[in-house]
Amino acid sequence: MQRRYRTIPDLKVHESARALAFEDPILAGKLTAMGLLPGTLIEMVRRAPFGNAYYIKADGVRLALRNEEASSILIDA
Amino acid sequence: MRDQLGDKLPNIALVGNPNSGKSTIFNQLTGLRQKTGNFPGVTVDVKEGRFHLPNGREAVLTDLPGTYSLYPTASDEKIVATVLTNPEDKHYPDAVVYVADATHLEKHLLLLTQLLDLNLPVVLALNMSDTAAQIGIKVHAAKLTERLGIPVLMVSGRTGENIPRLLGEIEKLIHTPPSKRKSFYSFSEAEKQITEAVCLNLNISSPYAALLIAHHHTWLPFLTSQQSSTIATIVQNKGFSSLKNQVDETLERYDRFTPIVQDSVQRPPQFPSTPTDRIDEVVTHRWFGPFIFFAVMLLVFQSIYDWSTIPMDLIESFFSNLNVSLKDNLPVHWTTDLLTDGILAGLSGILVFVPQIAILFFLVTLLEEVGYMARVVFMFDKTMRRFGMNGRSVVALISGGACAVPAIMSSRTIGNWKERLITVMVTPFISCSARLPVYAVLIGLAVPPEKVLWIFTWQSLAFGSMYALGVVAALGSGYVMKKILRTHEASYLAIELPVYRIPHWKNLWLNVWEKVSAFVIGAGKIILIISVVLWALASFGPGTAMEQATTSAHAVAAAEQFDSSATDDLVAAYRLEASYAGYLGKVIEPAIRPLGYDWKIGIAIIASFAAREVFVGTMSTIYSIGSAEDDVLLREKMRSATFDDSGLPIYTLATALSLLVFYALAMQCMSTLAVVKRETKNWKWPLIQFGFMSTLAYLLAWVVYNLFI
Ligand SMILES: Nc1nc2c(ncn2[C@@H]2O[C@H](COP(=O)(O)OP(=O)(O)O)[C@@H](O)[C@H]2O)c(=O)[nH]1
Repeated sequence: MQRRYRTIPDLKVHESARALAFEDPILAGKLTAMGLLPGTLIEMVRRAPFGNAYYIKADGVRLALRNEEASSILIDA
Repeated sequence: MRDQLGDKLPNIALVGNPNSGKSTIFNQLTGLRQKTGNFPGVTVDVKEGRFHLPNGREAVLTDLPGTYSLYPTASDEKIVATVLTNPEDKHYPDAVVYVADATHLEKHLLLLTQLLDLNLPVVLALNMSDTAAQIGIKVHAAKLTERLGIPVLMVSGRTGENIPRLLGEIEKLIHTPPSKRKSFYSFSEAEKQITEAVCLNLNISSPYAALLIAHHHTWLPFLTSQQSSTIATIVQNKGFSSLKNQVDETLERYDRFTPIVQDSVQRPPQFPSTPTDRIDEVVTHRWFGPFIFFAVMLLVFQSIYDWSTIPMDLIESFFSNLNVSLKDNLPVHWTTDLLTDGILAGLSGILVFVPQIAILFFLVTLLEEVGYMARVVFMFDKTMRRFGMNGRSVVALISGGACAVPAIMSSRTIGNWKERLITVMVTPFISCSARLPVYAVLIGLAVPPEKVLWIFTWQSLAFGSMYALGVVAALGSGYVMKKILRTHEASYLAIELPVYRIPHWKNLWLNVWEKVSAFVIGAGKIILIISVVLWALASFGPGTAMEQATTSAHAVAAAEQFDSSATDDLVAAYRLEASYAGYLGKVIEPAIRPLGYDWKIGIAIIASFAAREVFVGTMSTIYSIGSAEDDVLLREKMRSATFDDSGLPIYTLATALSLLVFYALAMQCMSTLAVVKRETKNWKWPLIQFGFMSTLAYLLAWVVYNLFI
């Protein structure tokens, strides 16, 4: 059976993990350019008030991601 | 040494990531000497300004949109790649100032390494030197110069530190063409073959430009269709995967410049919690966040009304005084009327908006400058996306409560074309300040002032429902457009939330200045033309109709022993009926009769298509109340008005409600149409908007009339 990787929405608030890979190639292009690379330490800061978006910190850079975007980023542990 | 530019002004481009402080540097260098230019066929504006080099020579500065890389995902970012890969482009720079945030250098150099590979003459401006010094970040500029092979300066757009030296470096770059650099990125074997083929085919020399063209051949506007199909064949033959190569290239660039940054930057240990984190804990909080947002918006809305009353009154009274004194001092002739009632009326119609636009833009830019806007986008993205829009649309919609014109201009911050277009199209549904006087007269006429609940009267509930109607119409039509419109542009949120900063006042004032002058010059031209046309329609009639109207009005006035002002009012009413405008009112009467309107309301509606605030004034003229615009008197007259043929009263509850619905939903504002044209660069959209809104207004007004009759 294939092991399912964790993705950013699986992180609890204030939990951190390293980014491993991207599932959406277009988003991979965009996020790597913004400084979120494989290996970057990601911290979950909070969810959006109405849900469906996340406020994260990637190596100190604050980013807002939609649910679909966040769940296309695989993380370790 | 003479440069090779001849007499052409040298072109300098500012390039950098969003929030690196490019606009601040731009404002530092150009001050008021800036204008917003248009890229043909592209919907994002580029700012252009002039400045002087140390040797006294003038140069053009272009502020290219902020982007993270030359692999764009939105249309504003595409401009950067388009300009920088095409030496024939009119904005192609003779020198580039690359602006990077010195406090986040490890994230800000990707795009710079791409510029280096394009062999562009670049100076690296490490901006925010003041903040860097404050938090104890040390950058060794000399080390960076050595490793990157370009001049590097610590600067501050805020304090102006090192700006003169920056100018000196720009001048040197223009005079010395760059020597061939070693490519920062090492091409794979496949990439080498592709770029060689592209270079050969397009006759270009820069391998990296060729690689970018290979990546972007489907949309780069300067390629002929033959060229792009040639490139498509090359790319296909080599089995080139654009997306994968792009990510690989990006990662390799990071691998190469990260050690350079680590060698040249010393940072103190990071604090676990910064002021920005603490502010965001409240401002983006689950419950406080939305609450604070609505409180802020209420304040903005209130300020637009409060602060603009006095300047708007001043502008209006200035023009009416000017009008009166011109009428008194110039000969009685139609040219005088054209000047006063046509041109001056049009001018005041433009300028009277200026205070609201200025205040609104001041507050919106303030929220943007401090970094709050990105949080709004984050919080409301989901809600707005249901209706085909983006988090940023909330700001435009709420601003629309004051005036759709600046609100539509503020939608420029939306990157995705479809989301931006929907925002532009539905914002005019929100009840703006110009609808208020119309609502006031009609609600006063039709709705009883009795209390219903606590503090609410039927009238205040009616006002509230008018606003609700606008919001529902805006969101509903957003939903419909979302289902209809197609776009190839993917929609992403992925937005950086910048640190909170104290606003830089110079940026604020310059932004307000730019928006206001764009409105006055751009939309102003069209408003002026239409108001002259309206004037002509109301001042002239077929054959001798106008003279006859004047004569018979005087006869009636004499018989009834009217005083002179009552006589003037009566003359005005008779003339209006005899004019082309009155004629038009009668022509459209059959069309509006199903809604419960007669030809007089028809004239008011025709006149209101220029600007809905004309309604009250036109009704006053028709019912010959004169310039006093006395609401109470007007309501009395309207209440007793009857249809010419049947003699039944016109203003029943049904007619008043139907008119209210019509004015809430109809597109009756030429300023808005003009600005929609300006923002979409196409007449198609304002025409669709006009048709759609007016049809909806007509249908709903008809339904309401028939429900209540
Ligand atoms: N402290 C400081 N703030 C700056 C400096 N330059 C720009 N800023 C601020 O950084 C924010 C982003 O600047 P802006 O020019 O709008 O960035 P752009 O997105 O690159 O055009 C604004 O709040 C500016 O006031 C600087 O040199 N020092």
